[in-house]
Amino acid sequence: MHISEGILSGQVLAAGAAITIVGTAMGLKKIDYDQMVHVAILASAFFVASLIHVNIGPVSVHLILNGVVGLLLGMAAFPAIVTALVLQSLFFQYGGLTALGANAVVMAVPAVLVHFLFLPLLGKSPRLTFVGGFLAGFVSIGLSSLLMALALWFTNEDFLKTCIAIISAHVPVMVIEGIITGFCVSFLLKVYPEIIPLRKSR
Amino acid sequence: MKKIIILIALVFFMPATAALAHKVIVFAWVEQGQIHVEGSFGSDRPAKNCTITVKTPEGILVHQGITDTQGLYSFALPEGLDSDLILELNAGTGHSGQWTLPKDELSLESSPENLKNKMAQKQSLEKSPSLVRIAAGIAVIFILAFLVSFVKKRKKGRHNA
Repeated sequence: MHISEGILSGQVLAAGAAITIVGTAMGLKKIDYDQMVHVAILASAFFVASLIHVNIGPVSVHLILNGVVGLLLGMAAFPAIVTALVLQSLFFQYGGLTALGANAVVMAVPAVLVHFLFLPLLGKSPRLTFVGGFLAGFVSIGLSSLLMALALWFTNEDFLKTCIAIISAHVPVMVIEGIITGFCVSFLLKVYPEIIPLRKSR
Repeated sequence: MKKIIILIALVFFMPATAALAHKVIVFAWVEQGQIHVEGSFGSDRPAKNCTITVKTPEGILVHQGITDTQGLYSFALPEGLDSDLILELNAGTGHSGQWTLPKDELSLESSPENLKNKMAQKQSLEKSPSLVRIAAGIAVIFILAFLVSFVKKRKKGRHNA
């Protein structure tokens, strides 16, 4: 899901960078001192998730895990994802530093959105917790695909075909990430409920 | 604390099941009057049916082609060219990669030793990220988290004072 360097137009890159700076600043302001370990753990999960790839036809897709990061961190997901993306770019040559802003928007904005949409479902019952987690993983990848498609579309209209390819290629990842996020939050709620923001505030 | 250590261990060992890279790798070399291009997403994952665009550093289009099912494409060395060549592979869906062939390589006929070096270079590019790099990345994340929490704690202390 990382957009390579030299693909997007200057305007799209600039808009991405501006949104990322604002999002990261807001996220850093919101992070609670006690939450820092959770932020680091989830940023690490995001950092390594991209190494797990799935070949679907001619397209190669990889796990992203922005759903679980966003669901559990909320606005703090922005700096966590940006940090992980910088390190992926430096250590694995994924994406690239010039496309960092756009890639961060593609992955972090849906992460923050699913936090507000699905966090209320967690902790109500085991089934609802799983459903909330599943929807967070599923929807975050869907929205990320849509944002990536929009970024490419704003750059060049010829990309429209590619956009359909991106969304269709990521449907299996949406399902996989939904299941992973569902099981992940169900498990965490049992063994480490402090990581779930809703539980913490009760 | 025990729970946090378990979580860190889970994160750290997660890539052990399928640690393969996801980036576009383009590699080109000259052999017997031909330029050979190979595109992949890492080892054993060829970039099939992808567009190869060959340009000069000034942006003049020299050649265009499409990789085969093994991610390979070959074409004759352009005549009368006195500049580097930039080969770009467009894998679609926002993925692309570049390789520059310096002009002195275009005029040289590759020796077996030179080719061997080139292949070694190609293999190192296709290598999956090492465990050391993954560990270093995670270490950087935790160091940054520590720094942010240190700053936040100091600010909190000042407010309370």
